[in-house]
Amino acid sequence: MKRLFSKKGSPARDDPAAAPASGVSRRDFLKGLGTTALSAAAMSAGSVAKELEQTSTERVYGPGPVPVILSINGEKQIFQLEPRVTLLEALRTQAGLTGAKEPCDRAACGACTVLLDDVPVYACSLLAIEAQGAEITTIEGIAKDGRLTKLQQAFVQKDGLQCGYCTPGMVMTLTALLRRNPHPTEAEVRKACSGNLCRCGSYPRIFAAALDTGGAPTVSKLEVITLHDHAVA
Amino acid sequence: MKPFAYVIAQTPESAVELARNQGRFIAGGIDLLGELKEHLAEPKLLVNVKVLPGTQEITPAADRWVIGANVTLAALAAHAGLRQTFPGLAEAAGEVGSPQMRNIATVGGNLAQHSRCWYYRHRDIRCLKKGGATCYAREGENKYHSLFSGATCLSPVVSNLAVALTALGASVVVQRGAKPATLTMAQLYESAWENPRAHHSLKPTDLILRVEIPAVAGRRSTYLQMGEKSGFDWALVSCAAAARVEGGTLHDTRVVLGAVAPIPWQVDEANAWLEGKVLTDEVAAQAANLILRDAEPLAHNAYKVPLARALVRRALAKLVT
Amino acid sequence: MPWPSASKHLGKPTPRLDGPAKAAGRAKYTTDIAPAGVLYGAIFRSKWPAARIRSINLEKAKAAPGIKAAIRVHEGEHQVRYYGEELAALAGMSRQAVLDALRLIEVEAMPLPFTVNELDAIQPDAPRVVAERPNLGPAESEKTGDVDAAFAAAAAVVEGTFTTQVEIHHPLEPHADIVALEGDEYTAWCSTQGIFETRNDLAKSLGVPQNKVRVLCEHMGGGFGSKIENWANRVICARLAQAAGAPVKLVLTRFEQALSVGNRPSSFQKLKLAADASGKLTAFEMVMFGTPGHAAGPEDMGGGVTFLPAPYIYPAPNTRVKKSKLAVNAGPATWMRAPGHPVASFGMESILDELAVKLGMDPVEIRLKNDPHPIRCREYLIGAEKFGWKDKYRKPGSSPGPVKVGVGCAGAGWMSGGEGTQAEVQVNPDGTVEVRCGTQDLGTGSRTVVAVVAAEMLGLDPAQITVRVGDTRLPPSGLSGGSATTASVAPAIYDACEKTLAELKKLSGIEDPRGARWLEACGKIGSNPLVVAGKWRDGLSTGGAGGVQFAEVAVDTDTGFVKVRKILCVQDCGTVVNKLTCESQLNGGIIMGIGYALYEQRIMDARSGVVLNPNFETYKLTGAADTPDIELILLDMPERGVIGVGEPATVPTAAAIANAVANALGVRVTSLPITPDKVLAALGKLPKAASQPTEGRMLDEAFARVALAPVIPPASPANVRRRKAYA
Repeated sequence: MKRLFSKKGSPARDDPAAAPASGVSRRDFLKGLGTTALSAAAMSAGSVAKELEQTSTERVYGPGPVPVILSINGEKQIFQLEPRVTLLEALRTQAGLTGAKEPCDRAACGACTVLLDDVPVYACSLLAIEAQGAEITTIEGIAKDGRLTKLQQAFVQKDGLQCGYCTPGMVMTLTALLRRNPHPTEAEVRKACSGNLCRCGSYPRIFAAALDTGGAPTVSKLEVITLHDHAVA
Repeated sequence: MKPFAYVIAQTPESAVELARNQGRFIAGGIDLLGELKEHLAEPKLLVNVKVLPGTQEITPAADRWVIGANVTLAALAAHAGLRQTFPGLAEAAGEVGSPQMRNIATVGGNLAQHSRCWYYRHRDIRCLKKGGATCYAREGENKYHSLFSGATCLSPVVSNLAVALTALGASVVVQRGAKPATLTMAQLYESAWENPRAHHSLKPTDLILRVEIPAVAGRRSTYLQMGEKSGFDWALVSCAAAARVEGGTLHDTRVVLGAVAPIPWQVDEANAWLEGKVLTDEVAAQAANLILRDAEPLAHNAYKVPLARALVRRALAKLVT
Repeated sequence: MPWPSASKHLGKPTPRLDGPAKAAGRAKYTTDIAPAGVLYGAIFRSKWPAARIRSINLEKAKAAPGIKAAIRVHEGEHQVRYYGEELAALAGMSRQAVLDALRLIEVEAMPLPFTVNELDAIQPDAPRVVAERPNLGPAESEKTGDVDAAFAAAAAVVEGTFTTQVEIHHPLEPHADIVALEGDEYTAWCSTQGIFETRNDLAKSLGVPQNKVRVLCEHMGGGFGSKIENWANRVICARLAQAAGAPVKLVLTRFEQALSVGNRPSSFQKLKLAADASGKLTAFEMVMFGTPGHAAGPEDMGGGVTFLPAPYIYPAPNTRVKKSKLAVNAGPATWMRAPGHPVASFGMESILDELAVKLGMDPVEIRLKNDPHPIRCREYLIGAEKFGWKDKYRKPGSSPGPVKVGVGCAGAGWMSGGEGTQAEVQVNPDGTVEVRCGTQDLGTGSRTVVAVVAAEMLGLDPAQITVRVGDTRLPPSGLSGGSATTASVAPAIYDACEKTLAELKKLSGIEDPRGARWLEACGKIGSNPLVVAGKWRDGLSTGGAGGVQFAEVAVDTDTGFVKVRKILCVQDCGTVVNKLTCESQLNGGIIMGIGYALYEQRIMDARSGVVLNPNFETYKLTGAADTPDIELILLDMPERGVIGVGEPATVPTAAAIANAVANALGVRVTSLPITPDKVLAALGKLPKAASQPTEGRMLDEAFARVALAPVIPPASPANVRRRKAYA
């Protein structure tokens, strides 16, 4: 499968250090689907993928459901989706992956953040059909064998969450940051998660979780003073 | 969203052909999906133009740089050579939205994006821009609207790149019908000044292929914007400036404001005033006065005048330091 | 208080029990649950801010592909009072099918005149929101002493007008419900701040006995007060499920969140304050009004629009207060994090600083002089010391350069008490423990509070305890509102655990079953587990939480941009239960307070009557880049017992920031949010033609109307209690 969006090693990242001096080379992409009446149930994802690669005409899909192959957390799956279905909708209602959330559905809060070839994107504002060919990583895909990543553990230990609804997006955004910049500064952490809103106001603890994971332990800004002489308000 | 069909275009010619029958181009798609979800646009076909040949590259050359329409804003902001040669452009790209947006959003999409006016974007308001009879902003909630307007629509241009590229004297190559056409930045937006329904001068089948920026020896550039929040917010006003600075004097200066007019706003007299001058506070202040001379503040956006003045002065100061 | 003085878990940082599930994206919120055969619901809303709805034609929508149920919200003619009011609803096989079909609903309506902004609605000739009564309600009036004489005799008198915006809760998890019927029993998954109230409301809506409805809320994505009320969307979800004979899930969109599930009411406050030469307050006068939206009748709570304490926390012997509700054609207000208090705090703390300036007093000094709350006075002293107030405080406007630095402070009080929870402890023969309590965890950490208290009492590790919350089959607890949950839940757990230990001692014959002999003791209870009930009792929790905050800001006087550099918060927490989640709640309160101070505001359009910013693009929330350095000092006072802390920390933030901005500039921005346009206007930097002399005149006229409004006694706090909003 070819890619519609950036892939590993491309400069399509928000990090100056990651950019090569020259631009992205041209990429081909899937050309179309040769068979008109594919049944998802009748075909394995692999055979559809093969067909996709063999065809070469500009083919119009939809507007009704068409086979869409998504590689999610390392596994190729085929869905029957209308072209208008967003990646977030596909993940949540078709793939059963409800970790990515939909608070705004308008690229304004970041709770739907997933990685597309390691780059954080808003799944609510990307069509599922356009995510074909890229490796999609969701919050469900980063903990190996059920064991939380170091960052996820830090979220728990530092209380980088309250209601937890922004958490999957925050974790994905910061996972991407730590992969390309394992030892971020606080300014880099703040910038990386500037596209993720947290209504509970957990930002200070989220920063702490990311910095801690990056090997820069934070000092608590909380002091407790115990007073024993006030029995009543 | 209304249902639509989807196709991936292989060539600029076929992209334009495919878009002819109620089609819309999709690249990054963030702006478009917003319009589709609000039913502001109901295309029958989305034409993916993301992989057209030559549109994903940044190509430096001695006389001019060519930036493909599908270069992402993240790639633009991060490109080391570009940051050195056109810092104003890299800064403008780096200020767009959020990291997630910049990872997907493209140069072409940023330039061709539609109005963010909250009347235009509202699903239940039929404003002038949508073919209605009234610009609601004129007597309404206009704090984010234009200080200058030609047509009766007050929604300002909000493309960061439009402002930065105007200062750099860039041009845009567009597939128009069977062949490419080159537009200056002024031409790219002039329709928005004249026609309240236009967001820019592109017809639905005009497709941005690339941006060309003249490489001028010794030219510096910069970009500043200010929003209500520290990040992930639209500019209330933005300012790009470019000039050759020789022996402390300014040459061929262009100062451009964003979010104050339906087009990137520059005033020839202001640019001319700066020619050959050593920048002082007074010189910068006078340039700002000239740029803002014809401002017509509305009930809630007069603050943009002092804000724009401050950004002009700061951009010029940044340029010479 | 009987809480253990040498604690192992109480007051220590305990990671929240649901942290791993949330960090892994495994936690299932209502929005994530999809029972077999579930249909998706969606609401058709009024496009008119005021209209008489003649008829609604659902036939085309009903016939659309995948649609399984269609209902009208009202039978017969109906008068719409705000844009976005619920008119009809559909349920169908997919969300997209339902959204498509919504566009096929046809309505015959007669649009009516409307008014959405306060200064328009208060005009005598404004369209009436409710035909039977004027938009401006009667004034609740309170008087003490002789105000006029006190003002005449005062050493200093200051006056000012302060306004606050309509703020929207916007929890990230939208309002969401799923209602399913199996046999004759309903199961409802609801994002709610009170599962039992929701159960009762649902039973009523469905017309079934309460014991046939079960409400579940395992995880919840925030509420902030907006998920207390049983809003129309939940009733609609239930009716759709009945009509379709299938489970229906109805999740609101962000757009809808801005319309009809509550907000913090606005305020317009005209204040006058006087003091003697020593700075002691002698007189206070307030005329205020604000809008709770369309529901502004005497019976409407309106989110506490007129409940704001006046004067706020600093008493004066002579007071005269008039407060009135004003109706507009907009969605209803409701309880929002510390209802009334941030509003009252902004006005009072602002004018108090003005008085201090006039008297040449230090702001901290004037507060110490007038604050009767001994704990808060102590907090001011501790805070001033830690903040470096003496070094940082300068005469207003004296900071050099275009970017001016300023500091400010403000205090808060909140009742915070809670009661009424019941709980159950089950000890299994293998020593494991399950604690059951029908509270709900909004994201505040109440689930973890249960574990911490049980662990402390039973001598176990919190991780050894399974906690069950969010199910009406568990022993009941109250609404999570008014910062009441911890104070209500913790004593019940304490009680249940204490009784469990007594029972265990009896069964095992072991004097102290905790610690080394725990397993041995548990082994003697037989094959059935030991289940012991407990309930809230007096003497373990209390109310009345005081706190103060100090803010440092940098204001760019060329651009009007305000940057909050630092917030220092000193908060009374009584007995700290969980240091970690307590800290998070304080951070959260402060960060929401920053939004209230600088960014958040619902914008209504006068001409169309719509909400112009029903999104996160133009309804702006504090982001990562806007978050300042926050320093927290918890006053742990074990003798006071447990006190909730969810709300107090959001109260004084905006006032402290506003005072810091005024200190930086030497002029005051008297209206929230403090946006760059207002800063530049306050500095006199706007072009002359743009100033709006009419707004000042309209405000004066508005206050004059409130002053002349018929007078009624103040709203009874008992009334509030009945509604349980403050719990």
